[in-house]
Parts: sequence; structure tokens; C-alpha cells
Amino acid sequence: MAENKEPLVNETPQKETPSKIEIAPRKIGVYLCRCGGNISDVVDLQSVAESLKGENVTVNIQDYLCSSAGQDKIKSDIEKGKIDRVVIGSCSPKLHLETFRGMAKKAGANPTLLEITNIREQASWVHDKEGKESVNSKVKGLIKGAVARMGSIEPLVPLEKKLVDRTLVVGGGIAGITTALEIADDHEVILIEKQPYLGGHMIGLSKTFPTMDCSQCILTPKMVAVHNHSGITMHTQTEVAEVKGSPGDYSITLKHSPRYVDIKKCISCGACTRKCHTGAIFLPFAQAVPQAYMIDVSKCDRCGACVTICPRDAVNLDAKEEISTISVGAVAIATGFEPIDPSFIEEYNYPAPNLLTAVEFEDMLSAKSKTGMRLQKADGSFPDRVAFVLCAGSRDFTGKGRKHCSKVCCIYSQKQAQLVKKMKADAQAWIFYIDMRSAGRRFEEFYHHTQEKGVNYVRGKVAEIIPKQDGTLMVQYEDTNLGRKGREIFDMVVLCPALIPSAGTKELADKLGVPLGDDGFIEEKHVKLDPVNTLNQAAFAAGCVLGPKDIHDSVTEGMSAAHKVSQFLGKGMILIPPEKPMILECNGCGDCVKACPYNALSLSEGKAVLSPLACTGCGICVPACPIKGIEIRNFTRNQLKAQLKAMLEDAPGVVVFIDPYAYAAADIAGVNRKQYSSLVRFISLPSIHVLDGDVVNAAFEYGATGVMLIEGTTDEKLTSRSDDLYKKLKKDTRKHKKPLRYSHIETAQYEKLTDLLNVFASQAGAKAEKKSKKEKGEEASEEKV
Amino acid sequence: MQKETIIPESRDNAFRDLIIKSPGGENLLTCMQCGICAGSCPVSHEMDHTPRQMVRMIQLGLKKEVLNSNTIWICTTCFSCSVRCPRGIYPTELMETLKPIAIKEGIKNRNAKFDNIFADVVKKNGRASEFLLISKYSISEPGMIAQAPFGLELISKGKLPLSIDKMDDTRELDSIFSLSEKTGSEEKTKIKEKPPEIKENNSDSQEAEK
Repeated sequence: MAENKEPLVNETPQKETPSKIEIAPRKIGVYLCRCGGNISDVVDLQSVAESLKGENVTVNIQDYLCSSAGQDKIKSDIEKGKIDRVVIGSCSPKLHLETFRGMAKKAGANPTLLEITNIREQASWVHDKEGKESVNSKVKGLIKGAVARMGSIEPLVPLEKKLVDRTLVVGGGIAGITTALEIADDHEVILIEKQPYLGGHMIGLSKTFPTMDCSQCILTPKMVAVHNHSGITMHTQTEVAEVKGSPGDYSITLKHSPRYVDIKKCISCGACTRKCHTGAIFLPFAQAVPQAYMIDVSKCDRCGACVTICPRDAVNLDAKEEISTISVGAVAIATGFEPIDPSFIEEYNYPAPNLLTAVEFEDMLSAKSKTGMRLQKADGSFPDRVAFVLCAGSRDFTGKGRKHCSKVCCIYSQKQAQLVKKMKADAQAWIFYIDMRSAGRRFEEFYHHTQEKGVNYVRGKVAEIIPKQDGTLMVQYEDTNLGRKGREIFDMVVLCPALIPSAGTKELADKLGVPLGDDGFIEEKHVKLDPVNTLNQAAFAAGCVLGPKDIHDSVTEGMSAAHKVSQFLGKGMILIPPEKPMILECNGCGDCVKACPYNALSLSEGKAVLSPLACTGCGICVPACPIKGIEIRNFTRNQLKAQLKAMLEDAPGVVVFIDPYAYAAADIAGVNRKQYSSLVRFISLPSIHVLDGDVVNAAFEYGATGVMLIEGTTDEKLTSRSDDLYKKLKKDTRKHKKPLRYSHIETAQYEKLTDLLNVFASQAGAKAEKKSKKEKGEEASEEKV
Repeated sequence: MQKETIIPESRDNAFRDLIIKSPGGENLLTCMQCGICAGSCPVSHEMDHTPRQMVRMIQLGLKKEVLNSNTIWICTTCFSCSVRCPRGIYPTELMETLKPIAIKEGIKNRNAKFDNIFADVVKKNGRASEFLLISKYSISEPGMIAQAPFGLELISKGKLPLSIDKMDDTRELDSIFSLSEKTGSEEKTKIKEKPPEIKENNSDSQEAEK
């Protein structure tokens, strides 16, 4: 049987119990956190506690539940046997759920019987402009819903799966190199790089600030170390094509572009390049790792001279793109940045002769130089007057450029200015800046030193760059320190473009289920406390894919990511959420088997059988079963109904079913204090596809004025079915004549989320009002009759 | 010009708040003083304060300086600053917001005078007359006497026709003027209380809604 091959270690048998709501008394403890005023300044926790009086639960309010005092309180209550189930009202479960569950486990409770209701990011932080009454009423509803849910769920034990002890590092720049080297002594590493050589942007740098040491001198030894490390398999010209499997056990398809020269055979003797009459075969640069020639097919006329001359038979003009598949447990994303193309800035007239980006300037003076490491204008002469234009396309909130500060430009432009002065003492270097940001150790000293060298600083964003016939460039600006407009002629103008995530970041992130921020960089698991983890527990990130930064910070993150990868792989096991389908009844029709996008269900002896490790818990099988014989553990129809009923009992609201990715967007909205209607009540689901007409109808019956389905996953296997799901639900719930809506919100789109919530809440409210008026009117007319 | 020290009494927060809520003031607080507006402005060298400085002065509530500045009258509304501002500020609109306030406050300067005379001429005759405009302006602005020889030369060469064109029926024009006098300044400075705009670019849900 196929499932037997899976590295299943502990598939704790769980009894297929029917999902009736048990009435047996549960010892539920509710713990509410003031969060040092973050919650209690807006929410009256005392009144929330009082509202639970009839619920047969113990309630406790703490200043900081996450503190040792707060945790100890829960722990001792469990140990004393006062409670065995815990509902916490605090910050987002993203922050502390693992902490609290760890504590509950130590105290002897089942960790799945501890859940967090988010009353900070989803209440106090986003409704503080609304009346206290409505926020209190929302929180009461949320907590009551959580208590009802806690009373109905069953204790589950997470499944354990063996990890594949191998890591894929994507990106061979300094961050990826560091990550790979730091992991490789303990765990096997596969390092892939899109370019034909290692080194990323760093190998294209001249000198590095603030020490002015040579970039290739410090990087080459690292590249060679990667090449020689027995624990690292390196593939250049390689990209991720497809990701299958699940965290801890990925099967990843790699796409290798042809180099036409066998890296293993080539001894870089250069015989081929001397024979080549078109200049198509070349070594990328002298220190390139791997040391092997390659062919630019656009130049090659396939004369075959290189094939004949090569003493090692390394050249193959018929090489094709190749595909390979690897098996890894963890992925480290270090795909770095690229400069924005500044041609969208019309007033700068890029590209033009002698108008370059800083990356092009660096290239000219680096190991990859095509000018013999000489700084030169288009006509080959040295530029005597060079201008550096900062913030080209960054710090722009109009939507044309990028909002963020690219962080390194202030310092590298000064380095480049120093290089100009060093190459020719009487050359002039001007830096046009808005704010000179030299925060960081040794950077203010670097600024000071550059000033001493006689570099001219102008505080003002350049307004226009006009290329002249003679190859010079006119720069117009306001010297904001004087409040006067100025015009200067330069031989060369260097734009310092916004640094953005490299092309393909989104595609890779989507394949791995890793959300991006609205700036396109990878979203950290926690912006401060988990800076190299992502929301995918098996995916880590380092370097500029997390935002622009210098070499020092990229290396630091590479080391951090390596540590996190080692820690992750070191456990040997991964816990899999136990919220999987249970098959209660089966007539063997096979509908669920056909519906499952992950091939986790199969028919065996006329009955559906689940392969739990292939299952992602998406719940598509639940509505697919024609006899309602499948339920997701702890998200059964009855459990969801119980939660809905309690949540809406005292005050109606808008019910928003939300998946974990969109939930993360709501958290970001909370952190940014984006206000939205307090009528909104989220119900967190593993995926919106567990829903069917039963549950949504129940929501309407219990008093929801509207229901929204918000999905954030980028998994096409799910999103491609969302439209059908929506249509079906719309049809099944038509009798209520209440608004139902579906929306796709990725994690980064938190502003879109709050806008939508506001619009929907007001629409639902208006419709409910209209309806009640109409009903009243009908009643009135009936009375008349 | 002697520059006064900025003290709490120089600042008028009500003025600042009014401008922030008026057209052109929306993103005013986010100005980072980069100066691309002034660098782009074809006439900023004629201004006593560059557009960037105007924004800063409004942020501080320096009402007197802002309204007395010739900047608001010199702006040619070419929109270069507005197109290029990385913070989404529209200095052009800002100037249009400030003009009626300055007029309301009774601020007199030669640029405001020029605008008023121009409007007067058009109102009376229905058409602009260069001769009337320049002669009226010269009378009220003593410094213009130095330009007299140049004016005479223009007249002698037929470049400044002395004839005054008139519109036959100015009733429609009158109603436009009276309407603008009645509502114009109020409209401009009226506090915008528009509800938050909802961008409905959510194709999924719209499709789904259908």
C-alpha cells in the first residue's frame, strides 16, 4: 500500500467518534489578558468576565498572561485539577499559541484543548475609535463562542512525521552562501543559483563600505568553500520549478538551464575561447565559481570549433534544459534583491549615455568588470564630474515607485564618491540626498570621512536630468538648505535605484506557501522576534529577500537562518496538525476521492480511506460527501454551529470565515491599527472549503446579518475551486436573503481586507435594517387586515 | 527681509488644520522636504518662498507669512511639482486653495492686485483688454512707470491695441461672476468631509457576486 512508504512514525489511532455535542461537564478556564492596557484600555474585561457567569467556567484576568506569573496561574489551575480546558483571550495566536500549549502540555493537559481568542489584533487595536459598548459586545460574543467551541471539541494528538534531513538553499549570494556553509557541517545542503556563477550581487561590487576592502577578496574564499564542501551540492543556472509534498518532506523539481559546457569536465584552459570566432564561449569572470566556460547561444553559430579543440570533451552544443527532483525537509530562501528599472521616472530620462544605475557603476569596477576595472564614460574617457542621485524610485508613496527606503544607498553612494576621488583627486563628486542616513556602527564616521575628502553634498531630490548632445547631463534641483534652485552639468550621473525583491520571489514564495509583505519582500513570522522564520515552519529566509540590507546584516541573517534550519531539522520529527477528516459513514461512492486535490483519499474495499500525512486538512471532502459522512476533527458542522450560536446569541454580527493566510492579513491590519467595523466576527478555519450550506445557514439562523468567506491561500488547488464553492453556498443559503460574499485576500493586502470588511458590514447592516423595516411594515399591514 | 523667530504665538494651528482639510492639503503632513517641487518649478526663482518652504510653513501654521507670500500668485499651474511629488502632495491645488483665503483676509500685494484687475476688466467688458489691464495696473502700481517707454514702443508698433473689445451681451457672464462671488471662496475652503473611498478592485468577489 502506498501509505506504508510514508515515514509515518506515530499515527495515534483516534477513535472515529460521532460528532455530537457532548453535554458532559467540561472544566473550562477562561483567562483574559489586559496586555498592560493594550486590551483593557478599550475592552472592559470585567464585564466580559461577568457575562460568562451562567457558563459554568472559571474566569481569571491577568495583566500579562504571557508573563511567567500569568502562565503559572494557568499551569497551577490545570495541575490542581480545577480546569482541563483553556480559553485564552489575548493577542493573536500567531504570537503565543505555541508558548501556551507548551505550558499546558507540561501541566498535564492536552495542548489542543487550549485555544486563543484574538481580542487584541481583532478587537482592541482595530475598534478603539468605536463606542466601548460595541467592542465589549463583540469580545463577549467571541469569548462565548470560544467557550462553546472548547466545550465541544475533542482532545487530539498531533501526528508525527519524520523529517527529510536535507535543506534546499535558494540563492547563491552572500546570504545563501553563508546559510549553506553554516548548515552543511551538520546537515546536507543543496544550493541553487539562477546565475551561472556564485556570489550574487556581492561579486559585482567593487569595494565594500565602511572598510573599503575588496569585495571579491573577502567573498572568493567563501565561494570556493561552498564548491569544496562535501556536504553541499551546488547547481548554477537552476531554479525551482515545482514544489510538492509538505513541510518537512518536500519533493522539489528543479529546472537547470543549459550551459553547454560540462562543469565537471572543464578545466578552464581557455582553448575554446581562443578558437571561437564569435566570442560566444567565455568564462563569466576570472574568479568565477564554478570555474567553467559557458556559451551564449545568441552569439554562437554552432561552427563546432570549441567542441573539436576541447581536450576534455566538455562542450556539448546540443545540451537541453534539464529537470531533476530533490527531496528536502527545509528550504532557506535567499533570493536577494534587484534594482528597480528607473526608466519609469520620466524626468530622469534613463537610460541615456553616461546615465547609469549604481549597480552598473559597481559592475564597472568589480571582478565582473568589462572595462578592465576602469571607471569610464561612453567615449572611454574618465568622468571628471560625477553626480550621485539618491532615492531614485524609493520613498515614493504615489504608487509609481516604492515606499521603502533602500537603506544602503546613502552609504554606498559615498563609497562610490570616494572611489571617484581616489581615482582622480581633482575629480568632482556630488551627492544629491534627501536625508543622509548613516545609522549603524562606523557609518557616521564614514560619512564624516567622505566629507573630509571634499565630496559635495546637496540636500535636495534631483528634479530633472537632461542628457545633452555632447554626452554631458544637466541636473536641476533645489538646494533645500538654501531654498534656491540650482543647475549643474555632469559627465556622469549615477542613479541609486530602489532595491526590490528579485524577479521570481513571489512565484517561489507562492509555491512554498510563504506570504509576502505589501512591499513584496518576504513576511517574517514575527517582525522582531522571529526575523528569519516564515509562516511556513519549514521555510526560512535570509538577506535582501527580507528587505534591503548590507553585507554585514545579510551574513548575520544567513547565520540565523542556518541556526533555525539546524534546530528544525535537528528534531528529526515534524508535528502535523491533527485536524484531519474522519470518515464516519461511507457508501463507497468515491466522490471525496475525486474531490481531494492532494490524493489523500482512496477507496479500499469499497470504503474511503484517508492517508493522513498526505492530507492538508483543507476540508474539500466535507461538502463533497453526498451523505455528510465526513467531518474535519474539531471543525465539525456541529462544533462550528455551537460556536456560531454562542457567538451570536447576545448581539448579531457579521460572520467572517477566514483561513490562516487571510487571518495573518487581519493580524497585520491590527498591528497597523486599521479600523474596521466591530460587527465583524472572525471564525478561523483551516480552509474555507470545509464549509457547506449547513454551517452557513446556521450562521444566518443564529442572527448573522451577513457571512463572508475570506481566503488567503495562494494554493491554486484550492483557489480554483472557490468560485464553485461560493456559488453552491449562495444557492444553498438563498432562502435567508442575507448577503454572502467571497473574497481572496493575500497576507499583504490588509488594507484591502479592512476596506472590504467595512463595506460589507455596512451593506449587511443596511440590508438587515431594510428587512426588519419591511417585516415591521408587513406586520403592521397584517394588523390592519 | 527680517525674519522673525518662530515662537508659539507665530503659529496658527486652526489655519494649519483648515489647509490640511482643503484641496491640496491632504498629504501635506507627509512632506519630507525633498525639494523636487521647487527643483521642478519653472518660476520658483521668482518666489519669495519655494513651494517646499510653503508646505513647511503651513505645517507650522505660519499663516501670516504663507498668505503674504507672492508664491501663491506666481504659480503658473504647470503641475510639474504635483506630478513629481513622491508623497502625493499637490502644491498646485494648494496654491488655488490659498488664493481665496488671502483675498478674504484682505491681503494686498501686487500679484493679487494684478489678478483682481484682470478679473475686473473681464467682468466689465466680457473680454480681456491688454491695454486696459496694463494701464489700470500701472496706475495702481507706481513701480510700473519705469516700463512706460517700453509700453509706448509697443503701442507705436501696434503690438498693444488701444481698442477695447466688448461683448454684446454680458448677462450670462455676469451670472457666472455672481455665482462665483457668492460661492467661490466658500467652496474652495469648505472642509472636505468625504467618506473613506473604497477601492472596489476585488474582481473575485465582484465576479462571485454576479
